[in-house]
Amino acid sequence: MALLLKQEHASEPGDFESGPKIVKFVVVKKREGEHAQQAELTSFEDVMLPHLDAAHNLARWLLRNEQDAQDVVQEAYLRAFKSFGGFHGSNGKAWLLTIVRNTSYMLLKKNRAVDLTTPFDEEIHTAGYESVSPATILEHSEDAELIREAMEELPAEFREILTLRHQEGLSYKEIADIAKIPPGTVMSRLARARTKLKECLAARIGKEK
Amino acid sequence: MNCEEATKLMDGYLDGELDPITSQTIEQHLRECHKCDQAYKTHGSLIRAIGNATPYYKAPAELRERIQSSLREEIAERPLRNVAQDARSLILRGQRGPRTVPSGAPWNWLALAAAIIFAAIIALNLIPRLQRPGNDQFLATQLIASHVRSLMANHLTDVASSDQHTVKPWLDAKLDFAPAVVDLSSEGFPLIGGRLDYLDNRPVAALIYQRRKHFINLFVWPAAPNTTRTPKTITRQGYQLLHWTDSDFNYWAVSDVSEKDLEAFKQQFEAQTSHH
Repeated sequence: MALLLKQEHASEPGDFESGPKIVKFVVVKKREGEHAQQAELTSFEDVMLPHLDAAHNLARWLLRNEQDAQDVVQEAYLRAFKSFGGFHGSNGKAWLLTIVRNTSYMLLKKNRAVDLTTPFDEEIHTAGYESVSPATILEHSEDAELIREAMEELPAEFREILTLRHQEGLSYKEIADIAKIPPGTVMSRLARARTKLKECLAARIGKEK
Repeated sequence: MNCEEATKLMDGYLDGELDPITSQTIEQHLRECHKCDQAYKTHGSLIRAIGNATPYYKAPAELRERIQSSLREEIAERPLRNVAQDARSLILRGQRGPRTVPSGAPWNWLALAAAIIFAAIIALNLIPRLQRPGNDQFLATQLIASHVRSLMANHLTDVASSDQHTVKPWLDAKLDFAPAVVDLSSEGFPLIGGRLDYLDNRPVAALIYQRRKHFINLFVWPAAPNTTRTPKTITRQGYQLLHWTDSDFNYWAVSDVSEKDLEAFKQQFEAQTSHH
């Protein structure tokens, strides 16, 4: 049993030991607190619920599993609400996505440590790339299923940065904040992610041929 | 700028994230270097095409509902949890010798809950046939149901404390009346905690006392003005119900202890409250 030893509401030990007695209390309806909580919830939902699709999309790409994504997003919203008092910025979307990302990684680490630690195997993923021209990739670039498969092969840090940039259109600064990397690293990681994505696409197209 | 540098900065240029001076330098290089210009155009159109075609997973409607209801649960639980934690810490601090606090032993609770569910099913089936409907009878049904429910599913107390000075303020804050709360440990009925309940179409206070291994639910709510009623005992399905009133409140004690014990409980309770 986790205990928070808050002292301020506790009566004195001596008082506790002193046996039965009654103190008549003046009845005060304490409804103010509830109103304040309701107001906080409304304001939280106004700011954060518009970003639900973005939150879900990011979690879905990171976890590659719909059920996990929904659980993580729900958990992330709950965490966000609990620390909403500490949010004073104007960028609710980036703030929320940071929490979604952290919650997603916690689950990834817990469930699939392999996913984060297995180095990207260039041999497998780039085989056949040389025979596929950029023009051929471009021909296939509207094939959503092909892109999904290629994306899901990428490491989490690449899936994340591609989603944040290509789908959410976030700035490098926002991405740096969310992914906890220096702003200067965003461009190089994004470049590597795009290159790998192209290679994975090429490999898949090459295999189909 | 040479080709290598230009290639390095290409993604930043594509995304419009370079500072104006670097951007101009790249533009200059692309105008002069056909190979890089070609690579940039191919890269750009490919990235844009891929970006546009990447599946976007919108949140399903039920996720929104799940989140909204979990947030509402969160604020509903907030005050209870804080008070309960305070109360527990208080129990630990103030405890003198072993004091029985309902906890642990989930197996026993399950067995107890099963027995109670069984009793409740029988009660629900038999009561309408055996009992002439009347206000007290209907209330007694509610009282027993509430008592039974409180022993199921670990919801005996909202605020677990043997300290009346913890239980009372907690209840006062939740209700529009201030019931008397006394600890009767020295009389053999230790206070276990308090709970909110809903009976007779109104929120009521439930005080939980213990008698050996048995629990007593004492339901309290304001009495209508000028109601003085003689104490009343009802026995039903092995439960004892004892009703009395004082100037302010209706009391209903419900338990599976003997009638004698419940009567003793009432006397002790009245004796302690009348001191004030």
